[in-house]
Amino acid sequence: MSEEHAKNAARFLANKEQEQWHNETLWQVRGKRDRLAMAIPEWETLREWASGIKMHTLSHLDRYLEQFAANAEANGVKVHWAKDGEEHNEIVYGILKERGVKKLVKSKSMLTEECHLNPFLISKGIDVVESDLGERILQLMDEPPSHIVMPAIHLKREEIGALFEEKLHTEKGNSDPAYLTHAARLHLRQEFLTADASMTGANFGVAATGDVVVCTNEGNADMGTSFAPLHIVSMGMEKLVPDYQSLGVFIRLLARSATGQPVTAYTSHYRKPRKGCEMHLVIVDNGRSRTMEMGDHRRTLKCIRCGACMNTCPVYRRSGGYAYTYFIPGPIGINLGMLRSAKTYAGNLSACSLCCSCNNVCPVKIDLADRIYAWRQSLDRLGKADRIKKGMSKGLKFLFSHPALYRLSLRLAPLLRYMPRFLMYNRLNGWGKGREMPEFANESFTEMWKKGKVKTHTNQRSHE
Amino acid sequence: MRVGLFIPCYVNAVFPEVGVATCKLLDYLGADTGYPLDQTCCGQPMGNAGFENGAAGLAGHFDALFESYDYVVSPSVGCTSFVKENYPRIREREGHTCGTSGKIYEVCEFLHDILKVEKLPGRFPHKVSIHNSCHGVRKLHLSSASELNIQPFSKIKGLLSLIGGIECVEPEKTDECCGFGGMFSIEEPAVSVCMGQDKLYSHIATGADYITGADASCFMHMQGIAKREKRAIRFIHVVQILASGL
Amino acid sequence: MSSKEEILSRIRQTVGTGYAMPEIILPAGAVEYGDKTAQFAAVSESVGGRAVVAGKGADLNEMIRSLYPAAKTIASNIPEITLATFNPDKTGTPYELDGTELAVVRGEIGVAENGAVWIAQNVKEKALYFIAEYLVILLDAEKIVHNMHEAYRQIRLNDYGFGLFISGPSKTADIEQALVTGAHGAKGVTVILTSAV
Repeated sequence: MSEEHAKNAARFLANKEQEQWHNETLWQVRGKRDRLAMAIPEWETLREWASGIKMHTLSHLDRYLEQFAANAEANGVKVHWAKDGEEHNEIVYGILKERGVKKLVKSKSMLTEECHLNPFLISKGIDVVESDLGERILQLMDEPPSHIVMPAIHLKREEIGALFEEKLHTEKGNSDPAYLTHAARLHLRQEFLTADASMTGANFGVAATGDVVVCTNEGNADMGTSFAPLHIVSMGMEKLVPDYQSLGVFIRLLARSATGQPVTAYTSHYRKPRKGCEMHLVIVDNGRSRTMEMGDHRRTLKCIRCGACMNTCPVYRRSGGYAYTYFIPGPIGINLGMLRSAKTYAGNLSACSLCCSCNNVCPVKIDLADRIYAWRQSLDRLGKADRIKKGMSKGLKFLFSHPALYRLSLRLAPLLRYMPRFLMYNRLNGWGKGREMPEFANESFTEMWKKGKVKTHTNQRSHE
Repeated sequence: MRVGLFIPCYVNAVFPEVGVATCKLLDYLGADTGYPLDQTCCGQPMGNAGFENGAAGLAGHFDALFESYDYVVSPSVGCTSFVKENYPRIREREGHTCGTSGKIYEVCEFLHDILKVEKLPGRFPHKVSIHNSCHGVRKLHLSSASELNIQPFSKIKGLLSLIGGIECVEPEKTDECCGFGGMFSIEEPAVSVCMGQDKLYSHIATGADYITGADASCFMHMQGIAKREKRAIRFIHVVQILASGL
Repeated sequence: MSSKEEILSRIRQTVGTGYAMPEIILPAGAVEYGDKTAQFAAVSESVGGRAVVAGKGADLNEMIRSLYPAAKTIASNIPEITLATFNPDKTGTPYELDGTELAVVRGEIGVAENGAVWIAQNVKEKALYFIAEYLVILLDAEKIVHNMHEAYRQIRLNDYGFGLFISGPSKTADIEQALVTGAHGAKGVTVILTSAV
């Protein structure tokens, strides 16, 4: 296994102050989530339902997609289908080009991030404006998000203050979050009012009605879609739920899990285009149907992108989003990266101590840690297994397959205590960084048992 | 009741006293305890590193070794949950049904659920900080996980309450991982040590004399940090406290 | 084969085991509120909004004026709201709504568990809900339900084909997780709970 995450994490950890802030801030979000979850006695039932609804929908996805698309079309929405990111981008560009769109204002969409839409459109001369505050900050910095719900969580207010000073001409040295947010409000309002088209993702698609549901706190998706005459929705095909009753389950879970809010400020249902305007919907596969074929990994498709697994993950909190090589970090990102390209993103698999906290916070009950365990089993086949680890595992297997040899090594182990320190603690020993080696006891349990030092009725009998 | 003891390698070599305390307890409580000498390892280190297939032979050996026992009891959370969770799949791949996954118990679980211990002699007049290890909490359900909205419980606290004079506390972030994670501790040393330090400090901040828990593998890691940093706090496995009056 | 057919046929090959749809019937002990109005008001406050009860025969115009004494451009298409300075339905384009200080609109359903109010678009341009600096929503207190399951059983969209739940003001915590209200939409939201009695 390559050690990309481990190396990047070590860099993040070198700034102890930043690491602690990141860790504690995200832990507070987990705390808020806990308080709200504990206030709903039926919380675990909701999770069970959400998981069940997603599994049901995925196992009838062809039917639900057809129903959804037919309803959307009947509502006057133009539906497009994209096999992959490239086709998605071409479709979006085609729509924009045909209408002479110069400026596109976007709300947060992990799918367009996945498809690399922004650089593509920019290369075609379209002015693409991200409107979620965090996303806008990162766009101005030319950096990717480091968290899917809190994209700029790795930045300090001073960095954002300095950025706005340069780009938005805010007051020198003023890094008050309220001041900066309101400066961005004014700046982006101009963008909303002058955009030729808007684009949103979709949190949910409701098959029974054709509604596209978008949840935001800022209201940026709503501002975008309220002015420009063209609205394009980019939606992963796994986002479907059958009907309003199932949607209710997810809306109860989503914001509570994501940010510890009872619901987002806006939960918007887009069913028809605005009068005299156009609404287009691009349904995207981009590897999802391949994931459907992958047995238990299909469960990863239940994800509703709440980010709760990141907030609870002790590794993510201490290594930051950029330590991961896939654009989505944390437990879900490790999994989605492997589904995207196992060979490319195997370097993230080490970023999990298998603590399983993610499994328990996941509102749709994806067994994220167990999936990571399962992915590790495929590394050797992919030719991505670490040689040292493979050697160690082989060695252990040999040792453990020979009980007499194992017993001998138990007897000899205490001798390691007499090994010179420089042989034990050096750069080859990852353990020795910050930790002393475990000390072997004078006598192993097996030795004691054999010598009758472990007093039990059975042992006494066998030594009588 | 015939109980087969499984003493995993790290307990065997580093914490033999945990094995001894386990025996004492089982013996005191009337279990007919045997220790098959040909036991080695359950295969967890290989599994977690991505070589679960390498554990197939070990799983077969393990099943055969403990075939004649009513229960397998082990003072190791990680190994017990590995056998429980992964052996059925590993054995099935080889065309066998797993014989041990249904009858293996971590020792605290065994004392609490099967032997249903209600009384133990002994006093332990110390303040202890309970280390709720990940697999103890989230795989074996020795206590309620902090993420879940379920009735809070702790089998470990329940058992320790049988001992006189003891004061049990829990650290802040009661069941956050200490960063051991087997191969993780070697592959991700920077994060692992940071997690271990945070956990150790939060245990120390409770003012406890001891850190106790059911998972000695976490102790290896935290003890390594405590030793390097010359921290005074001591480590003791739950069964050592429970057996203190025997 | 079109992309649509290709995608659907790939899915058809993989759907596999059919999982049953869970039956969504709340278990006994699911959260319910003795006083839905009080709960709604408490949650509204916790999300940075506000809910006030209009007593029997209260003068809504007076209430709104005292809540927003400085507002000069006030939009409403509700005939009883006489302090409105203009009817937003009479404007030509959504752009003309820029500069609205206060909008007064009607909500249909309130949700006690999260302080959300359902509105099926009831103004000509939905922009009004977002561009106004402050928003007042009039809601019949009798229309508050316990939770989202109940709410979703009742909601309907009309011919506008747009509807939304609003819970408190627009907000963000994207800078260091410091909560700031008024990210893009309303900086403040007041729900006035009216009673027919």
